[in-house]
Amino acid sequence: MNTFYKKNGPLISTYFIIAIVFWLVFLIIIPQLYMLDLSFRPNLPPLLRGGPDDVHTLVHYKHFIFGSETSQDNYNYVDIGVFFNTIITAIFVTIINLCFCYPIAFYMAKVANPKSARLLIVSLIIPFWINELLRSFALRILFAGEGVINNVLIGSGLIDSAINFIALDIALYTGLTYAYILLMIFPLYNAIESLDTNQLEAAKDLGSSTLRTHWRIVIPHAKAGIASGCTMVFMLTAGALATPVVLSSPNTYWFTQLIYQWFNMNDNWSRGSAYSILLLSVSVVFVLLMMRLFKVKIGEIIR
Amino acid sequence: MSADVELQNISVTFGNFYAAKNVSVKIREGEFFSFLGPSGCGKTTLLRAISGFLNPSEGKVLISGQDMAGIGPNKRPTSLIFQNLALFPLMSVSENIVFSLEVRGVGKLERQKRAEELLELIALSGQGDKKVHELSGGQRQRVAIARALAIEPEVLLLDEPLSALDLKLRQKMRTELRAIQKRVGITFIYITHDQGEALTMSDRVAVMNEGELEQVGLCDDVYDYPHTPFVATFVGENNAFYGKVTSVQNDLVNVESSGINFFAKAGKKDENSNHSFSSGDDVILFIRPESIFIKNDNNKLDNTFTAKVNTIEFEGNLKNIYLKMNSDMSLKFSVPNAVDTSELSNNTDVELTFSSQKAIVLPKGALAVD
Amino acid sequence: MKPQHALNFIFGIYIFIFLTYLFGPLIIMSITAFNSAEFPSITPWECFSWRWFQEGKIAYDGQHLAGLASDWRLHDGLIKSLIIGTGVVILAVPIGMAASIVLTQVHSRLRTIFYSVSIMPVLFPGVIIGISTVVLWDRIATIGGEGFIADIGRNGIFLTILGQTCFISTYCFLIFVARLQRFDQTQEEAALDLGASQTQVFFKILIPYLMPAIASSAVIAFLASFENYNTTVFSILSDQTLTTVIASKVRLGISPAISALALVIIALTLIAAISYEILRRREDRRKKERQDLLLFEQTKDSRLQKNEKKSFKIPKSVFVILFLMVVGIFSFNQLIKNNLYGPACVTAAEEAKKSKFSEQLKLLQQNQVSDDALQEGELGGNQDYGDIFGDPNLFKDFGGFD
Repeated sequence: MNTFYKKNGPLISTYFIIAIVFWLVFLIIIPQLYMLDLSFRPNLPPLLRGGPDDVHTLVHYKHFIFGSETSQDNYNYVDIGVFFNTIITAIFVTIINLCFCYPIAFYMAKVANPKSARLLIVSLIIPFWINELLRSFALRILFAGEGVINNVLIGSGLIDSAINFIALDIALYTGLTYAYILLMIFPLYNAIESLDTNQLEAAKDLGSSTLRTHWRIVIPHAKAGIASGCTMVFMLTAGALATPVVLSSPNTYWFTQLIYQWFNMNDNWSRGSAYSILLLSVSVVFVLLMMRLFKVKIGEIIR
Repeated sequence: MSADVELQNISVTFGNFYAAKNVSVKIREGEFFSFLGPSGCGKTTLLRAISGFLNPSEGKVLISGQDMAGIGPNKRPTSLIFQNLALFPLMSVSENIVFSLEVRGVGKLERQKRAEELLELIALSGQGDKKVHELSGGQRQRVAIARALAIEPEVLLLDEPLSALDLKLRQKMRTELRAIQKRVGITFIYITHDQGEALTMSDRVAVMNEGELEQVGLCDDVYDYPHTPFVATFVGENNAFYGKVTSVQNDLVNVESSGINFFAKAGKKDENSNHSFSSGDDVILFIRPESIFIKNDNNKLDNTFTAKVNTIEFEGNLKNIYLKMNSDMSLKFSVPNAVDTSELSNNTDVELTFSSQKAIVLPKGALAVD
Repeated sequence: MKPQHALNFIFGIYIFIFLTYLFGPLIIMSITAFNSAEFPSITPWECFSWRWFQEGKIAYDGQHLAGLASDWRLHDGLIKSLIIGTGVVILAVPIGMAASIVLTQVHSRLRTIFYSVSIMPVLFPGVIIGISTVVLWDRIATIGGEGFIADIGRNGIFLTILGQTCFISTYCFLIFVARLQRFDQTQEEAALDLGASQTQVFFKILIPYLMPAIASSAVIAFLASFENYNTTVFSILSDQTLTTVIASKVRLGISPAISALALVIIALTLIAAISYEILRRREDRRKKERQDLLLFEQTKDSRLQKNEKKSFKIPKSVFVILFLMVVGIFSFNQLIKNNLYGPACVTAAEEAKKSKFSEQLKLLQQNQVSDDALQEGELGGNQDYGDIFGDPNLFKDFGGFD
């Protein structure tokens, strides 16, 4: 501590300490811990907080598993269903994104000449800067009953009446895939780009087939990038709110929408917190899984 | 203004590792002093202790007799020239040079005047507005020197600043540095692993190995009278013959090495006294390549022996001849290029000779391996 | 065809499809902004019009569909978004910078912990950051009683700035870390050695070096704040930002005014991207020229001097612009020829619709749908919008549900 002060001088040290403590403690750690605590407390009006009724309880987690006391079912099929549907869909979206993006990333990194790769990168970044809501809105226009896709399909005589893409959740899944695809491309691109091109040529020279070269050389080299891209896409997809708000059908819920409901519609903050903690646990488990699976450190996942 | 620098029993430890161990040396005012040693010997550590970037675990640094403990690098009367020069890439050449004045609040006009003076000193007049990366290597070197001299420090510390230059430029800069030192008249403390650099520029050198001082002295003393086997082999080249003392007469030691008898002087232990030996001691005899001659009627010295030529190497001004005396003794000697060596070829036996006055005997110890 | 060419060809097609997937929806959305119809679409093209950028329209049934220029809620949200964005930049950039500099000064174990905690917010779902900020500050406001603390603890703008700063600081942090990795720390030592105080080292050496990172992290922080929804929707409480306004609009019914807004944002993004790219290329060229000059000066060897041909080369971008202009003029011509542009067209379309509407009204009355339901707009209620989609005609004729 003393050396820290000495190294940076009193003024700058003070600034550093205030900034970091404010961020790490007041913005990151305390809010999360308080939310965790709140999720174990009953839903009380603000004035009763800290009173005798404010005890620790598992009621919100119980609600997630068993449903409300008045319900007929043994388990809370609705919420559990939404929960697993969200996770499984997010996993699928991640896998699809990975498959879509790998060829593009490889092309940009190793096949294209630097100039056109650069152009491609810039043009990929542009849609990324457009608000997620607006991108979803664009898809909604495409998928609407009277939208472009239906009109084209009907016009070409492939179908007779409009398909309700939104009720079928096709719009939602497309939107989720669309929303975070660039967060898959760039880590992959960076990882593949750092591979020495000579290695590819050496493999080819030694008679390795294209598929084998990718499987044995490119993919192992790019594993940190793959882990990074998958983590980011999964996290953002599972935690997405904007896209489901715009594109989900009225009878499909995304888990974040449940949280939103508990929070804003039903004013049950502690239940909202409990559900948030569930979502957070999934995220943490997924990150740990990725680190274990790809044997990478957390610093390699986020760069 | 110039100052002396005294290191008193300096030790620097990193965990269990001694980067410097009990180093004591007094550097005189206005002197060009070099620390010479292989990389990792602790010379940079000492320099950082003098400039104030690290605090010695034990011991004191005195500058002009004043203890420097607790005084930061920005308050010491020293200037450091870094190995990579550490010029500020975002500033122009003159901004670099007068940075030390800027941070001391010297006015703009005066800074400008001083920058012009210093640019003239380093023969870069009119180039003050250039950016650093627009200069060549030698020019950058000179800018770094000017920047360090701008506040007129009492001691200038140089951390191998020439190591990045190519050979010709390096040789030129040696002369230039020496000339600058003479002109400004302040203490220069120079760090290098290049003994040629140290010997050509310095008044005195300190040879270091593994954190400890091996020897401090005038350049020719260190070369001619090494105190330890390490110094003997690190400074210049030396042939080392391992052997045992068979007899001692006054200063002359008789050493038997693989069946050959040699006479040599006893080496110095410190500036005033010699090592004393008695029969049976394990010793090393050192003889420099340039002190060995081919035996003929003009050259007949008190040590003679035969050896077989292995290879002859041409090095411009010199020819190096490598020979084998027997299975575990080999030897190198050098002759000026002008000497006719046509009669020497591989596997010819040659009779060689050297003077016992040029050979020295030291107790057995570690050599410098390079 | 050589295998290399075949490969490139396949890649070309793949990339074309990929780019279509990325850009297609955005392009179609942009075009719908110019269709005068109430529902954003291309194929039943009514008239080319700028109305969605201007005052919008008053539907024949009296509903007001606001355009960009006349929507006060959008303007209000935009102003709040700008305030929040500025606040986030002011907080997040210094925080990210401080954290990244300190990261270079701590070692081993502490460094790993510090780094992990710093990047954690990126791994948290945005909704969670929003919620945790709100619950914590609500508690603080309750404990703080009446007065200043309670006011800021329940102020949506303040909470949103805090919530967004939580994770946007990490973006800034990562940008600074990347830049600092290439920093030569001996420069700091050199400055110290030359007599600078630690504060002077910071302001004269470190800050100038970090300037590009400061600029880019400020831009990124602002953009990230501007387009954030997940955190904001919780932390904004009763206020509205641009994104939450858009979200509520989209949820209630889709209007071409949103397309118009999107087009404005896309245009701004494009202009920014293109000017950035031009600046970068100019900088590259200048750097290269300087290097050539240096090389020449150092060698003083005329053989290395390039024989620059002074022929003027037409940049490729000119062709692209020409092509776009031709396409633009052609389609505009078509619009005018087919009488699809101008107030006359719009009036005609409105007339046609009005008659169709009254026909439909009759039809509905025959089907004994209650008049009350229509007038109170229950059919347009938000729970039912899924069903409305089932009957696109109905939806279209009632316009938006603003």
